[in-house]
Amino acid sequence: MTAATEKIEQPVGPEKPQEIPVDWKANIVAFACHYCAFAAADLAGVMRLSYPSNVKVVRLPCSGKLDHSYILRAFERGIDGVFAAG
Amino acid sequence: MIVGEQKPFDEVWEMVKNHKQLTVFGCNTCVAVCHQGGNKEAEILASLLRMRATQEGVDMDIVNGGIERQCEHPFFESAQEMLEGSEAVLSLACGIGVQFVAEKYMSTPVYPALNTTFLGDVQEDGFFTEKCQACGDCVLGLTGGICPVSRCCKRVLNGPCGGSTNGKCEISKDIDCAWQLVVNRLEALGKLDDYEKIAPVKDWSKDRAGGPRSFKLEGF
Repeated sequence: MTAATEKIEQPVGPEKPQEIPVDWKANIVAFACHYCAFAAADLAGVMRLSYPSNVKVVRLPCSGKLDHSYILRAFERGIDGVFAAG
Repeated sequence: MIVGEQKPFDEVWEMVKNHKQLTVFGCNTCVAVCHQGGNKEAEILASLLRMRATQEGVDMDIVNGGIERQCEHPFFESAQEMLEGSEAVLSLACGIGVQFVAEKYMSTPVYPALNTTFLGDVQEDGFFTEKCQACGDCVLGLTGGICPVSRCCKRVLNGPCGGSTNGKCEISKDIDCAWQLVVNRLEALGKLDDYEKIAPVKDWSKDRAGGPRSFKLEGF
């Protein structure tokens, strides 16, 4: 994964409707519970299964640790979608 | 406790949008219980405002904080620096807290993020009902513990009125007739004789009719 794909675009306002580039992909953060969803993602890795590089996984000790503020902070920083798994 | 409801987000934004710096300030007691004005809600509101500022292209530094109670001086110690350095404060406290902050910081604009709605209880998680109007002259001892001042739509002191039907108020089918509740309770207590007593004219001078009230303890 290159540095360019890792970079999250900083929002520049005021926001205007724009043409969506053909190669645009949504930036997704996945909050995954250590004991189930993250373990499943880990297993997928062991099985050499691939998942899209525009999904960034954040491991939580439990999905109960997921807080409003984590999701809002992700959106504040320009994430397009949040995936909560647990 | 005091129950409040957050103002519509657009209304909040219109109040604060012209500031370059804003502190979103929670009050972690009454209004935190009703999930409207606690420190957590302050954090959420600050985040939403930051996103709105970005969308609108407004350069605004928005921070969030909070204390346990915005209606008492000692609690402000931990937030003093933050508030003194603020250009404006958006308080998530009830009307009391907002005024208290405004009084403490004379040159800082303070805005309310909540509409303070009533004094009530928690019937169940997320459901609050009005139970007291702080009339200053409690009649609960005569009415079986049911307050006709706050729970009867007409504040009738010798009820029920003619609008009571099947235990409900004529205002809405969702509102219990307070006087039906009074009668039921007095019956359960075996004190229906109390119901026959005519309540005298209430002294409303102890309510808001006497102007803003205060209470001072001797020896403090």
